Amino acid sequence: MQIIENLKVKERVYQEKLDNGLTVLIIPKRGVEKKYMIWGTNYGSNDSTFIVPGEEKETQVPNGVAHFLEHKLFEQENGTNSLDTLTALGVEANAYTTNDHTAYLFECTGNFYEAMDELMDYVQHPYFTDENVEKEKGIIGQEIMMYNDYPDWRVYLNTMQAMYHNNPIKIDITGTIETINKIDKDILYKCYNTFYNPSNMVLVVAGDFEPEQMIKEIQKRLIEKKSNGKITRIYPEEPESIVQATIEEKLEVSQPIYTIGIKDKVKECSFENKNEIVKKHIAIEILLKLILGKSSNLYQQLYNEGIISAQPSLDYEFGKTYAHVLITGQSEKPEQVYERFKEEIRKLKTEGVNEKDFNRIKKTIYGAYIKEYDDVVDISRMFLADYFKGINSFDYLEEIEGINVEYVEQMLKDVFKEEKMVLSIVKN
Amino acid sequence: MIKTDKFKTNLIAVFLTTELNRENVTKNALISSILRRGSQNMNSQEEISKQMEEMYGASFDCGLDKIGDNQILKFYIEVINDNFLPQNDVNILQNSIEKILDIIFNPYIENEAFKKEYVEQEKNNIRKIIEGKIDNKAKYAMDRCIEEMYKNEPYGLYKFGYIEDLEDINGKDLYEYYKQLIQDCKIDIFISGIVDEKISEFIENNDNIKKLQERDPKYIIPKVELKQKTEQEKVIIDSMEVSQGKLILGLDVSLENPDLRYTALLYNGLLGGSANSKLFQNVREKAHLAYVASSSYIRYKGNVLINCGIDIENYQKALDLIKQQIEEMRQAKFSEDEIENIKQGIIDTIKTIKDEQDTQITYYFSQELSQENVSIDEYIEKIQQVTKEDIVKVANEITVNTIYFLKD
Repeated sequence: MQIIENLKVKERVYQEKLDNGLTVLIIPKRGVEKKYMIWGTNYGSNDSTFIVPGEEKETQVPNGVAHFLEHKLFEQENGTNSLDTLTALGVEANAYTTNDHTAYLFECTGNFYEAMDELMDYVQHPYFTDENVEKEKGIIGQEIMMYNDYPDWRVYLNTMQAMYHNNPIKIDITGTIETINKIDKDILYKCYNTFYNPSNMVLVVAGDFEPEQMIKEIQKRLIEKKSNGKITRIYPEEPESIVQATIEEKLEVSQPIYTIGIKDKVKECSFENKNEIVKKHIAIEILLKLILGKSSNLYQQLYNEGIISAQPSLDYEFGKTYAHVLITGQSEKPEQVYERFKEEIRKLKTEGVNEKDFNRIKKTIYGAYIKEYDDVVDISRMFLADYFKGINSFDYLEEIEGINVEYVEQMLKDVFKEEKMVLSIVKN
Repeated sequence: MIKTDKFKTNLIAVFLTTELNRENVTKNALISSILRRGSQNMNSQEEISKQMEEMYGASFDCGLDKIGDNQILKFYIEVINDNFLPQNDVNILQNSIEKILDIIFNPYIENEAFKKEYVEQEKNNIRKIIEGKIDNKAKYAMDRCIEEMYKNEPYGLYKFGYIEDLEDINGKDLYEYYKQLIQDCKIDIFISGIVDEKISEFIENNDNIKKLQERDPKYIIPKVELKQKTEQEKVIIDSMEVSQGKLILGLDVSLENPDLRYTALLYNGLLGGSANSKLFQNVREKAHLAYVASSSYIRYKGNVLINCGIDIENYQKALDLIKQQIEEMRQAKFSEDEIENIKQGIIDTIKTIKDEQDTQITYYFSQELSQENVSIDEYIEKIQQVTKEDIVKVANEITVNTIYFLKD
């Protein structure tokens, strides 16, 4: 078992790859009541075209299968539903799907091992019938309708439409009513058998546990399954350019909601360049705060002029096939926010980054990383999501120290390019 | 003071509690926004932000809450504790306590008034927040249902106030009101983290604290309301651009004595508080009418709110099915096993209170406010004692007050 320790945040992660290919991460937290288990597979809404190991032909499935599978895995052959069983144990169970992974989880204080029995059992035993697949279409249909009423989600998805020509990041995680109607049990089994192989999965446990003991508990509950070899995923070619500079949708909102997106180039994360990817991520976080954080000139100006009334969210999202900056907020004049943002970037490029501001923001980001390590839920989710990107979450704490003004200025030039920017607006 | 070394951070919370009423609700909301604009020592928001960033990104946050018939102005600073500072920066905790007290009790004043510019800008911001109520349709539907249930009563008030009340407020009158508020309100300060006696001494000796006067705070001690059964249910239907209808049912829980609130909590768990509940199982899993089908319990006001997102044409079908669940609760159609499961779930949640600093502070604050002082162990004990008979009895005292539907 590999032990990774970080002295800055004073935490340890125990990592083990089991014989069947499953990766296990254990994060012990002494003296904490809450326990958390999350089992993820490297399979999300982006993975609709792939080659099943052992086959030659490529398989294409309708959009929304990963999310549909997430719903259906809870159903058991004996007629019970695992979500009910887990809830009956008094634990809080859930599951979610992102564009690159699907995860099943529970948190609890008591009944941990009973819940673990159930979680590990249902994830390993799919049971799909024509009838139970049909039934789920109604529930997921309501979920899709619910998201259609969320302006935040609409503005996000439209940003993806404007930035990406072909990359599946632009499709809805749930699929649409049309695509989910094409899903049947054979498709679900095919995707399950391909992607729910231990070699494609990671199990993370956090709480007051002995790591060695926990590994044994996990092994006891694994059914026999062979590592099935490499899954070839096929993603469409994506040009570097954006699709359209602006995109708008009408929805009843009190004030326009906007997202500024900046499409970035993607480098496949490998062991050799993972530090570079982490460093880039940190540098972009620093830049975003310098440009539009609470202490920035631009934020203060826009606030005082009444153009914005709260801090926009500032994010850098990336995966194996996509990367972009996202700035989301509400304003009566989103076009002005956008123009001023571009102006500020031009200014920063000519004048350079102020050393004092840089150091202050760096301290802030360091503090934010430390804060991630309080809750077993946050820690586990972070390690899981980063793992699927090829990153160990501790890397952020290690890399931040070495970041300097020159590096950040370089990233400003590389990433914040006007021809890569889009503006998405949702308004009345 | 909550002494714990379990966390990477120290959390400081200051709560100002005052009576909720139409006259002051908007002013209080505005004060909370204006205070974060600047103090005598940090004149602008920019200055405050810079100071926070220097303390390794201490996060300063403020918010508003309603507990019973009170409005609470909440202020927080979360700061990483000294064990995790890369260099030997010291007294970051004391420093942040000084800052938060400065922001609340020593605001930026010009000519005996809040700065005009700040007042006008924040009036505008509050107006946007109030207008923004419609952005989250599900939340909006619930707020509207509460508003209808508590028409002309304090609890029906929106915590950010009213646009028409904003106009007449100016910096001078508001500052006068602020001074009165600080003199009369209940003030609670909580600190969770690596703390010792020196910290409470430090707070007591803080100039801003020393200048506060002794008081008999003006607020309403929240008591579990023992209300009457509703005779006639109200139906309210609003129209808005939505693709999914939001159906809310506001129930009145009439209790014989306050201790029955633990029973009501279990009632809520069985009805719609979990994935095993009647609503989730029947409205979502069996009838496939909804993705969200749940309920929540408002303890001090004695209400259960049912919340469903449905196809608009399924209104009657969903309503009938929900009412059937309420009826089945009255007829004791649930098992001992189900009760045990819900109990276990609630107890599990109670046990994790200690694992989160803000949850723990919120818990102790509500105990302090209601003067109940129920410890976490007692709380668990009370939950365990509830029987099926108790739940059925409470179920028969529960009536539908308001049916609210938001459609297109």
